[in-house]
Amino acid sequence: MNKPIEFDPAELDLGTPATLATETVTVLIDGTEVVVPAGTSVMRAASLAGTQIPKLCATDRLDAFGSCRMCLVEIEGRRGTPASCTTPCEEGMSVRTQTPRLDKLRKGVMELYISDHPLDCLTCAANGDCELQDTAGAVGLRSVRYPEARANHLSAGTDSSNPYFSFDASKCIVCSRCVRACSEVQGTFALTIAGRGFESKVSPSEEDSFLDSECVSCGACVQACPTATLQEKRVIDLGVPTRKVKTTCAYCGVGCSFVAELRGDELVRMVPDKQGGANAGHSCVKGRFAWGYASHPDRVTRPMIRDSINDDWREVDWQEAIAFTADRFKAIQTEYGVDALGGITSSRCTNEEVYVVQKMVRAALGTNNVDTCARVCHSPTGYGLKQTFGTSAGTQDFASVEQSDVIMVIGANPTDAHPVFGSRMKKRLRQGAKLVVIDPRSIDLVRSPHVAASHHLQLQPGTNVAVLNALAHVVATEGYIDEDFVRERCDLASFNAWRRFIELPENSPEHLAEISGVSADLIRSAAATYAGGGNGAIYYGLGVTEHSQGSTMVMAMANLAMATGNIGRQGVGVNPLRGQNNVQGACDMGSFPHEFSGYRHVSDDSVREQFTALWGVGLREDPGMRIPNMLDAAVSGQFRGIYIQGEDIAQSDPNSHHVEEALKAMDCVVVQDLFLNETSRYAHVFLPGTSFLEKDGTFTNAERRINRVRPVVPPASGMAEWQVTCALSAAMGYPMDYGHASEIMDEIAALTPTFTGVSFDLLEARGSVQWPCNDAAPDGTPIMHEQRFVRGEGQFVTTPYVPTDERSTRKFPLLLTTGRILSQYNVGAQTRRTENTIWHAEDILDIHEADAELRGVGDGDWIEVSSRAGSTRMRARISGDIPAGVVYTTFHHPISGTNVITTDNSDWATNCPEYKVTAVEIRPASAAEAVPA
Amino acid sequence: MTLDYTQQHLVKMANQIAGNVPSPEDVAGQIADHVTRFWTPAMRSDLGRIGREEPGVLASEVHAALAVLEADGTGR
Repeated sequence: MNKPIEFDPAELDLGTPATLATETVTVLIDGTEVVVPAGTSVMRAASLAGTQIPKLCATDRLDAFGSCRMCLVEIEGRRGTPASCTTPCEEGMSVRTQTPRLDKLRKGVMELYISDHPLDCLTCAANGDCELQDTAGAVGLRSVRYPEARANHLSAGTDSSNPYFSFDASKCIVCSRCVRACSEVQGTFALTIAGRGFESKVSPSEEDSFLDSECVSCGACVQACPTATLQEKRVIDLGVPTRKVKTTCAYCGVGCSFVAELRGDELVRMVPDKQGGANAGHSCVKGRFAWGYASHPDRVTRPMIRDSINDDWREVDWQEAIAFTADRFKAIQTEYGVDALGGITSSRCTNEEVYVVQKMVRAALGTNNVDTCARVCHSPTGYGLKQTFGTSAGTQDFASVEQSDVIMVIGANPTDAHPVFGSRMKKRLRQGAKLVVIDPRSIDLVRSPHVAASHHLQLQPGTNVAVLNALAHVVATEGYIDEDFVRERCDLASFNAWRRFIELPENSPEHLAEISGVSADLIRSAAATYAGGGNGAIYYGLGVTEHSQGSTMVMAMANLAMATGNIGRQGVGVNPLRGQNNVQGACDMGSFPHEFSGYRHVSDDSVREQFTALWGVGLREDPGMRIPNMLDAAVSGQFRGIYIQGEDIAQSDPNSHHVEEALKAMDCVVVQDLFLNETSRYAHVFLPGTSFLEKDGTFTNAERRINRVRPVVPPASGMAEWQVTCALSAAMGYPMDYGHASEIMDEIAALTPTFTGVSFDLLEARGSVQWPCNDAAPDGTPIMHEQRFVRGEGQFVTTPYVPTDERSTRKFPLLLTTGRILSQYNVGAQTRRTENTIWHAEDILDIHEADAELRGVGDGDWIEVSSRAGSTRMRARISGDIPAGVVYTTFHHPISGTNVITTDNSDWATNCPEYKVTAVEIRPASAAEAVPA
Repeated sequence: MTLDYTQQHLVKMANQIAGNVPSPEDVAGQIADHVTRFWTPAMRSDLGRIGREEPGVLASEVHAALAVLEADGTGR
């Protein structure tokens, strides 16, 4: 028998949001004195005092609306019965929340609501989880005097078009909570109330279905609905959940907190956690709904081995799989040496899982050949921010954006790739913050409901550094330098060198306009806006890092922020929007071949001594190979075996043909993952992994927030991933004895200065914490570099613009850039196994009308895309979001093989692939050619 | 000496570093420092061999960096 979900006081809905006022007022609520911040609503004050005023249209997630008339109160000295949700407390105010007059009014209003509501509570999906039901009980409604025969909406239909939730109009009380959630929280404005009076009804777009409307399926409306009108289909099918577990989403780097709600061991729904530090109760379509992959029939839950990649897989028990792998690895070590082996850690895995993999590679395999999938996304962030600020992490917490006056978004598409933070950003923009977008594409933020960029610098792919240098040139030459900040906080010698460099005419907007494709006037205006508009914040994504000058660009942004004094306080900063849930954590944990945890170089004797002492084994002082170096060495025959944790390099890494050649050349490829993927086609061992619902550990999000990941269901394979890694390590002769994931975190804390205060106990008590968390910052560090930079003084770095080798030519005249969309995630291994495919069933190539016409390509036509690396086929879409000469696609589907055509160009400092610039040509493909080879 | 794919990649990486190191001063030292911090000894050794056997494929700054590495004993 399931127990009912226990009431959590922290989740009490106080009816209206908190105010930010620091002044307080004292009011009397039913004779009890309550002190609240000025501007607090009477409803919220009453809730804080322990009195719940009946409500329907009010929730503390939304601004007060005052429409349902349930929350009426009496206020001494005032006429009438004002709505408590829209009435702010005033000093000395005396409020009565329960009087005979109020009881009668509330009962009468509730009677009207119920007169037009199905009386099917016993069979309703929301029975026991319905605010209308609760409120009817709270006001003591016992009968309804108005017969159903009168006009009503009881036969209104149900819209089941959305794959995850339905809209039953017959149960709608038109409280507008869904409409307001869509507007205020999500910022999409897909919903409205159509009609007037009795005809009023919730309408997606122009009375479209939910699926056909602008709705992005974030679930905010479902969360806000006080009835069963907007209801998860899982709840309709399975019933109301009976227990819950707090955990963290495993999609993007926002790292939203969720409450997993279950019936027994069956997950019913994922509800965004209002207490979540990163998401504050909001969600996106992936985290909220697209978790069904975890129980997809494609899941592999038993270990498999095979002698050759041409053989069939053979299911074995864990013992045999581990022994097989260890034997092969030992044989490779014997024949080719320890550096013939290596490993790749995964940003989808927990800090603890990542930590033990890099430890196994360094301590058990005896090599520093460990790298992580951040190599192909944010490794330039690590390099660039470490050089300039002293540590490899973003400077702000997400809430900081609420204090920004100017937001500069560079090479990122937050509304698709980091949607919950994107909504937060849009909210600030609607409040009046200015927006500068630097992107070849016209992303949604450039112009969407109630949001418009003041500047869109639609640059040519590959010219980021040119544009940033031009912006900085304006800052330096037009008096926008924050001289005090620079003098007090930065290394003056490096600043003076940078200033001399950036003031050179070759960095002027006029000189760089033709190269970048952005007019000098626009650059000058954007620079003035960023530097002169108050708190300036930079947010960036892979459109910055995945270039041949990705690291240079990161340093250019850091220079700009330091020069303008936009570092070290709320509302400013330089912020990488990390692609995967635990990119930050995977990097923190020592996944790079040259660094131990906490970004300390392997050549540092004192650091190595600490690890040697605790690990009890000698460690190498030279850097190991990065992923591309490992692959090159495999093709050359020197690198023979690899342990790949949760990454599909055959699909995600550039120049797929080269990756496949490397994998084929190895003697032992071990893949640890949920599903057989493209990489596993070349694997000899498949070790089943655990989904985020089965993991026990921590993720660290893009704002350095360490969140607990709690097991919602037991591991389908019977073993936690860190246990599997430890078993292999032991088989290789280096046992790692941990009884629980918390013990791994204890070891991380013991060895990592920025984590010394972190423990599972702390996270249980605090919910989450942002590193550095140590003696100097026991409560964590939401904003970095407040008093001084981690490296002491901020370091300016000169950033000459060097064009990429990848240029459009007569043979390949178009520049391809890639990205991802809202409903899908990276290589799609997860989202393709959910109903999200209804929105994106295939990768499409966006092409400008002029380029399409020139090549005889129509909207929806099959085309062949060719680069010097290879060719693939997909359908085309005529798009106005990209300029002529540029084409764009996603890489979510293996069949489209987008990375067959991307090249082996990479960032000069980190080898992060240059995914964002590939010279291509397209031609129409016939129907017979439509299926890629 | 015919450069294989891996060697060609090393050459490309080294020349790219030479073209991108931040400061115009002591370019050779910056290249040497970069490959010491981020490259394996085997990669540095391979680059040195390429420098000796196919000098024309490497930028002059890379040759200068190889001399720095040779001098401090980290180029092998």
